[in-house]
Amino acid sequence: MKEYEVIIIGGGPAGMAAALKVNNEGCKALIIEREERLGGILKQCIHDGFGVLKFNERLTGPEYALKYKNIIKNKDIDILLKTFVIEIKKDKDFHIKIINENGIHILKTKTVIFSTGCRERTSKQIFIQGERPAGIYNAGTAQYMTNIMGFMPGKNCIILGSGDIGLIMARRLTLEGAKVLGVYEIKDTPSGLTRNIRQCLYDYDIPLYLSHSITKIFGKERIEAVEISKVNKNYELIENSKKIIKCDTLILSVGLIPENELLEDLGITIDKKTNGAFVDNDFMSVEIPGIFICGNALHVNDLVDYVSESGEIAGKKACEYIKNKKTNNKNTKVDINENFLYIVPQYINENSNDEIIFYFRSKKRFENAKLKIFLDDKIVEKNYNKLIPAEMEKLTIKNIKNKKISMILE
Amino acid sequence: MNIQKLKNKIKKDISYDIDISIQNNALKLEGVVENWEQVIKAGKIAAMSDFDGVINNLKFINQEKENFINTDLKDNKLNNKKYDVIIIGAGIIGCSIARELSKWNIKILVIDKENDIAVHTSSRNDGMIHPGLSPKPGTKKAYYNVLGNKLYEKKSKELNFEFKRTGSLIVFDKWHLKFISPFIKLRAKKNGVYLKYVDKKQINMIEPNIDKNLIGGFLIPSTGIISPYKTTIAYAENAVENGVDISFETFLKDVYKENNEVVYIETNRGRIFTKCLINCAGVHSDEVAEIVGDRFYTIHPRKGEIIILDKKTGNFINSVVSKTDFNLKNNSKGGGIIKTVEENLLLGPNAYEQPYKEDYSTTSKGINEIMNKHSSVLKQINKKDIITYFSGTRASTYKEDFIIKQSSKISNFIHVSGIQSPGIASAPSISEDVEKITINILKSKTNINQNIKYNPNRKGYPILYLLEDKEKNRIINKNPDFGKIVCRCEMISYGEIKSVIHSNIPAITLDAIKRRTRVGMGRCQGGFCTPLLLKIIHEETGIEYEKILKKGLGSNLIFKETKKFGDDFIERI
Repeated sequence: MKEYEVIIIGGGPAGMAAALKVNNEGCKALIIEREERLGGILKQCIHDGFGVLKFNERLTGPEYALKYKNIIKNKDIDILLKTFVIEIKKDKDFHIKIINENGIHILKTKTVIFSTGCRERTSKQIFIQGERPAGIYNAGTAQYMTNIMGFMPGKNCIILGSGDIGLIMARRLTLEGAKVLGVYEIKDTPSGLTRNIRQCLYDYDIPLYLSHSITKIFGKERIEAVEISKVNKNYELIENSKKIIKCDTLILSVGLIPENELLEDLGITIDKKTNGAFVDNDFMSVEIPGIFICGNALHVNDLVDYVSESGEIAGKKACEYIKNKKTNNKNTKVDINENFLYIVPQYINENSNDEIIFYFRSKKRFENAKLKIFLDDKIVEKNYNKLIPAEMEKLTIKNIKNKKISMILE
Repeated sequence: MNIQKLKNKIKKDISYDIDISIQNNALKLEGVVENWEQVIKAGKIAAMSDFDGVINNLKFINQEKENFINTDLKDNKLNNKKYDVIIIGAGIIGCSIARELSKWNIKILVIDKENDIAVHTSSRNDGMIHPGLSPKPGTKKAYYNVLGNKLYEKKSKELNFEFKRTGSLIVFDKWHLKFISPFIKLRAKKNGVYLKYVDKKQINMIEPNIDKNLIGGFLIPSTGIISPYKTTIAYAENAVENGVDISFETFLKDVYKENNEVVYIETNRGRIFTKCLINCAGVHSDEVAEIVGDRFYTIHPRKGEIIILDKKTGNFINSVVSKTDFNLKNNSKGGGIIKTVEENLLLGPNAYEQPYKEDYSTTSKGINEIMNKHSSVLKQINKKDIITYFSGTRASTYKEDFIIKQSSKISNFIHVSGIQSPGIASAPSISEDVEKITINILKSKTNINQNIKYNPNRKGYPILYLLEDKEKNRIINKNPDFGKIVCRCEMISYGEIKSVIHSNIPAITLDAIKRRTRVGMGRCQGGFCTPLLLKIIHEETGIEYEKILKKGLGSNLIFKETKKFGDDFIERI
């Protein structure tokens, strides 16, 4: 049985960053990746805008991935490609059962970093009714087809959801010669980044319809039309607002779900707000020490730079965990008020001396928001001109050791 | 009911414009009424007569014509071929009959208008092997169901499909326990179904998670579960192994008879001679009977919607649980919470009449109702666990019973119609009976013998997730493709997909591969594997990407390749 100090599941931007950090810290890492190449979803993101925070450059997804791949190549990091993790068991160490062309094997490791990313929500998970024809694609699937395989998945497309991938696909399909009839969003605010609304829709005259939803799908074989309805603030359908629009393709960009089934099998609870695990500021699971979670598997990030950053933290902390043979962290929950959509990490390690990075999203749109941070009885205030749920905020706090922390957003 | 009284009742209750006559010993209704509910109501009243059936040709205002035939394919591939038996319909009934008949040294052809096995009702149900409690005593349904249920171990072993005799639990609240329990006991006795009363404490031991207000119920050990599409395919593949021919995208257009006997059928692929014709056309069997000239029934499609929950929920219950709101007038199963062989939970199906036979759209009303009904029994289930939902239509006749008999008018024509729920459970016994009827017909015409090459055992292909690690390793060592996982949610390997593409009934559409392997049936619903499947289908079959289908003709997945300079591009330069 092969043994590792750190096994990283998933070789996307979080996993690669974690592996490099583990290597820098002097530990032995293995990346397990399902696909033939490292890079995860970045491989299909041929648009630019990656790495602005991290590298101060506007890179495409493949360029961003390549930067990491080139460094990893020359390091003593083991990589298993085309390998699928079947199950993980824990006694003193973790035993990871994998399957690949060589058969089934079990690997032993002291720590596991989960950088398994997300899958996309489907039409049924948002309760679209009607028929089940061909031509309904998740935005990521359509992106894979268009960018990696070189296929046109549709000619007359409707896009449901204004998530970033959907917006980017609106532009991408337009550039390939398709007609994007409109982007429909159930909320009264867009879900994607402001820059994507501008660069992907307005620049190409693609209309965005807020407070609209698709209620029914027509077409037995290939999709022929969709029924669109207006909704009110509570997402209830407005009577007599139904409209039928002909199309041959429906692209869905209706949210991502962190892939945490392996974690759940281990008995880890999922935070209903993030759809990821509960972690402390080491990005270590508060329930099972030795398990670290980063990237989109922990919560859905809007920028890849944050994804890599969380991978680095997880990698660094995994090594510290091995070296210090720490047992359970002593954790306290970060109290937040109802104006937060969520905050990550949800807990802080009381003994931690480090500066702590928090990622959070607001529940609704705020102009001139004020964030009050209570550290025991000390109050720190931070002002934001604008907060929107679509855009994640990062917050760094120092000197937190042995302090209770709570935050109020107003 | 007296025929004149019945006529009056129909006219009075529904419409005086309904024309009522008698044809083929059936009551025939014609005319135009206001809506579909009236069509159904008239049919149900007519079914109270002693005639063999109801031919309900009533139309309603604004009724749309449903186009069943999706192919304009016309060739002479089958022209002038001669068969001993032609079976119309490649659902579980058609395929199981073909397989039983392949014991004999005769030439058998199965035709289906679709491009694969089990496209309609056979893949659109919950896969429950009913114990035979629900059908009315004395009906064909009750007879074949109880008998069929018993045959499943044997068939599963021979045909290499998964079957679990999980047992089921019918649970009651206080009111239902008092009133319905004696009725259930009596029916079980009459139908020959063993069941055991269980009290609250025992229920709690069997199914600890279900609602504590359910105070009593019955445990029925004989209930089982299969994958209905995989089982149908297993039957079909074994039939083909034993020499049966299958022709897809082939439909009946006409028949030629002499002396009340079918001589040949006309199809879109030519004229095919046969000594015996078997109607297993499911929801369309009344149309087939009409073409052949012995129609005495009408299929009115009764829709059922089913919800599939994530495998995570599989540990909530152990088998099949249904809370009875046992409606004595209910013609079909009420639905329950069913743990599938793959450990997903299925909720449903519901049951409602709809005019269109192949309208498989789902409704938010239906999905919400199912969810609410079953989450009251099992509190843990949550909308968030829904992976997908689908619907199917039951092939119900107005008499609400199976029709399994040799035609009294056309001597070599066999009706196997009205096979709605519990059709899957009854398939093994129906097919063995139809085998006897068919062989009798053939023996009266010609000398037939046993097929000495008949092999009842289907080998199938490896299903990785069912195997022990040691066995997985052995298969991967022999063929590394089985170690490459394509569908991450259901853990389906490249090797399995290749096997079904090259099986004796090649699976070359996405849904065909899905029905055989479950690829894309998991929580991401094909989000990750759809593009990979396109590539595999293309590489294994040479089908151009633009021509790869999801399901039927016209369900193409992509429009064109953009990055390759194709021949037409070079020509233009």
